[in-house]
Amino acid sequence: MQQQSLIEPPSELNRLHETLDMELPNINGARMDALRFRSRFEAAVFGLTSEDTSIVVFGSLARDEFTDGSDVDWTLLIDGVADPKHLDLARQVKGTLESMDAKDPGQEGVFGNLAFSHDIVHQIGGEDDSNSNTTRRILLILESRAIGRRDSFNRVLNHVLSRYISEDPRFLQRDAQFQIPRFLLNDFARYWRTMAVDFAHKRRTRGGTGMAIRNIKLRMSRKLIFVSGLLGCFSVHLQLADAEKAALLTADNPSQEFVRHLRRVFAQTPLEILAAVVNRYHHLGPIGKKLFGAYDKFLGTLRDPSGRARLNSIAPGAAEADPLFQELRAYSHEFRDALLELFFDEKTGLDRLTRTDGVF
Amino acid sequence: MMLIGFSTGALAFADFRRALGMLQDEGVEAVELSALRMPEWFPLIDALGTLDLSSFKYVSIHLPSQMQVDEERSVAESLQHVPRSHPLIIHPDAISDFGFWREFQDRLCIENMDSRKPIGRTEGELDRIFDQLPDAQLCFDVGHAWRVDPTMNVAYGILKGYRDRIVQVHVSEVNSRSKHDILSYSTMQAFRDVAHMIPRVPLILETPVSPRDMCQEMNKVRFAFLPLTSSVLPSGSVATIRCGPNVSV
Repeated sequence: MQQQSLIEPPSELNRLHETLDMELPNINGARMDALRFRSRFEAAVFGLTSEDTSIVVFGSLARDEFTDGSDVDWTLLIDGVADPKHLDLARQVKGTLESMDAKDPGQEGVFGNLAFSHDIVHQIGGEDDSNSNTTRRILLILESRAIGRRDSFNRVLNHVLSRYISEDPRFLQRDAQFQIPRFLLNDFARYWRTMAVDFAHKRRTRGGTGMAIRNIKLRMSRKLIFVSGLLGCFSVHLQLADAEKAALLTADNPSQEFVRHLRRVFAQTPLEILAAVVNRYHHLGPIGKKLFGAYDKFLGTLRDPSGRARLNSIAPGAAEADPLFQELRAYSHEFRDALLELFFDEKTGLDRLTRTDGVF
Repeated sequence: MMLIGFSTGALAFADFRRALGMLQDEGVEAVELSALRMPEWFPLIDALGTLDLSSFKYVSIHLPSQMQVDEERSVAESLQHVPRSHPLIIHPDAISDFGFWREFQDRLCIENMDSRKPIGRTEGELDRIFDQLPDAQLCFDVGHAWRVDPTMNVAYGILKGYRDRIVQVHVSEVNSRSKHDILSYSTMQAFRDVAHMIPRVPLILETPVSPRDMCQEMNKVRFAFLPLTSSVLPSGSVATIRCGPNVSV
């Protein structure tokens, strides 16, 4: 069965090489590794999925930041009639990944099992929007890819984005000062803070084990996810020409049009979303070099098996004295400082957007 | 004036004469003569000249949904005697040789498909069909588009790209087994989301209903597609009045 597919834009990371005139060997290498693994996985699960079921991968595999030591976070997304055999299907997926020597998903139990569209679509906010549900929903938007048939994946993603947009349509009126989907932006911000708080929770419950690598990931890849969400929410102002913006606001159905716009934006990886902004505004070149340079070094450590193993094994309380941790922390400071420059840049108007919607 | 009618196949399986009688009894003025299965095709074509269709303002013909290559050729040849005023509805996955169909130009209406089918489901997939049949028109199946994407974003994309080509609209609920079903409230609400983008063309119901329920189903269509004039779902009392086929708006 042929897959429904969105037309994905050409990769902004390819353009970035020309924009910045710099090599990013680890970003490119991780991208190739992700592509290769997904191709193998796609072939291995051919015919397993259906109109009602999609295998969705998250994390570094979806973000094109895959390394030999990466977990494979996946879920069997079900959007259809309940069927006890879905559990068998999930076991098949698990067995396939085991046969590919893939690392199991994290200990939290968010991934590696079944996920149902009803909770993801209906429970946005409120008491029943559990930590796991929020994680699945936000990561579905910001870092996910379907393997095999994508019917369910497309439907659920459209449903989720439609909820954020159609229940908060004021920002699409032409007299609105900013075309920013605040419902969506607030959920991204909430998720970012949840990740930060959960870092502290895991440090306590796991006695500090694995704290160093989680800390660096929080400073880099987790932060990047939030950054891409913010840039996606600001994308009407950052990425559309005046004529394109006018066409969106005067469309037959601006909410539907905006969902299509967001699908195009979030079909890109977080690094591509960031690269798109750097590519569009040439004066951001120096900031781009700092951002992507620091990120490339971070990925370089994760791609190096000995570096990753060392980072993983730093004993609780020993990180402050560990040279590798300190080196990575310095990269994370470069990354943070460059992000601050980016988000308070005046020429792009990001400073105004950040002050208005990124702070309070 | 908006014409609302039925597909004969929805009213009486493989019995177009009985379906036509039901429609004429209710004063319905739009009909799609349906022969979805190959064995139904030639009996319909043979009878076409003898049918009294004078009470219908709109008549279209739905071609078989599955054809072997030799059958496809003979179906195309048999259409030479069909009046030019009758649009010809065809599923894109029933076509194996576009060459048979190009000569029908704008008489041919490609129908968008539901999620079971490998092609013709979305705007992008329809682009590839219309590249092959540049003069063909569209039979917009709103139930199929809803089945592919209940948020109606796929429907929106198809309408945005191809509304100028729409000749008729197929209306039904497509259930989880991909079968045509009667319209439910949530589906009608979804249809209302894109109703303003649909041109004033005949709306052909594919919902399987008994004669007693035809009026009720047509009123649901009015509710779904005339949102500016119908803010409240018609009550059960409408079933007691004659259908009054057309709606002036």
